[in-house]
Amino acid sequence: MGDSHASRLFRTAEGAAYWAVVAPALARLPAIAGYRIACWRGDWLCRRHVAERTELARNLRQVFGAELSPESVQDVTQEWFRLSSCEAVDVKRLRRGARPLQRLVEIRGREHLEAALAAGKGAILCSAHFGSFDSAFSMLNACGFPVTTIGRWQHKYTASLSTAERRFWALVYAKPLQRLRHRPNIEPWPGRFDVATRAAAALRANEVVTVSIDAPPLDSDLARTVEVPFLGRRARLLPGIVTLAQLTGAPVLVGFLYRSADYCHQVLEISPPLPAGDEPASAFGRCAAEVSAAITRNPAHWRYWASTADLATLGLVLPEPDRSAAAASSVVAMN
Amino acid sequence: METVINEYISQELVRDPGLLPLADDTSLLESGILDSLSLLQLVVFLEERFGITVGDQDLLPENFASVTTICAYLRTREPQKQAAHG
Repeated sequence: MGDSHASRLFRTAEGAAYWAVVAPALARLPAIAGYRIACWRGDWLCRRHVAERTELARNLRQVFGAELSPESVQDVTQEWFRLSSCEAVDVKRLRRGARPLQRLVEIRGREHLEAALAAGKGAILCSAHFGSFDSAFSMLNACGFPVTTIGRWQHKYTASLSTAERRFWALVYAKPLQRLRHRPNIEPWPGRFDVATRAAAALRANEVVTVSIDAPPLDSDLARTVEVPFLGRRARLLPGIVTLAQLTGAPVLVGFLYRSADYCHQVLEISPPLPAGDEPASAFGRCAAEVSAAITRNPAHWRYWASTADLATLGLVLPEPDRSAAAASSVVAMN
Repeated sequence: METVINEYISQELVRDPGLLPLADDTSLLESGILDSLSLLQLVVFLEERFGITVGDQDLLPENFASVTTICAYLRTREPQKQAAHG
């Protein structure tokens, strides 16, 4: 008990120091040096956080099975910790209108988003908790696309965080991201019934609404989930994005931010609009397939590997009986 | 107006046949008939059918609690609608 308490305290203090002091400093260094140091920190976390590393590797093996060799599992695990550390540098490079980050990100498919907005019905950008997705949305707004995100700030919902920790993450994580969004995040907390109408209002104003469709559903939303093929299994996901598109006439595009092998440069790939007029089930299946394919190509980019509780809620792995969901569901940025 | 709205909700939004026939004062939120997406569907219908625009400030649970409150809300919009057309 004492050990785990001390260990949690150390981990919290290290994470806070990294996000509040180290990452802002790294974001001011030449990119190659800043991201290199972030990777060193990721390697250190990977060695030190044995339980998280073990959980992550076990989840990768459960989902991918023989598709990933033991060496690949090890590589993906280490890469996952590196990308978590690099994400903090991305967020801190959002200063000065995100120009420091923009210099490192190539946007491919920008013309698809421009064409979608030219039609005047807004655009829905379907994405996932993949890479520095939050930074990508803010950077896109800084590039001139009015972006509003449907999504919960996870620090508000992670049960194990204290009030002080919530305030801290709001300050170092949410604030720099939110500053570069067109409207405040539309947060689908339980019982909130105006999420879709607020998203529709943004689309009617010809804006871009981003949605990460891979979020584990809340208990209150389980009845509305559909099962779709995902990572070679069947996942329970919320298909609301398709209904939103059909009711507003907005096209759905898919976008992911991939980090290059040098860790500095990234590519934001935006697809052409998905075919309109499909049946809702097949249209959503197409979105889920795009997300699944992106994760399969770059498994280390996916946020949820370290949370068995979240993966179990999605229906991808078996739940751990000895851990409460609230304690285990704490992936967040808090690494 | 009540009949039009009741029919639309009954036919398009009620998924549990046990809730039919729908009384005008049935709570649409507590009975689970209205969630975020079905509210949007209803708002789109009201805007098209009654020629109004439902603003963000009007998206209050009390305006959409039942068929009766929806009609009451729409009646408060009538003078604005007439003023806009007049």
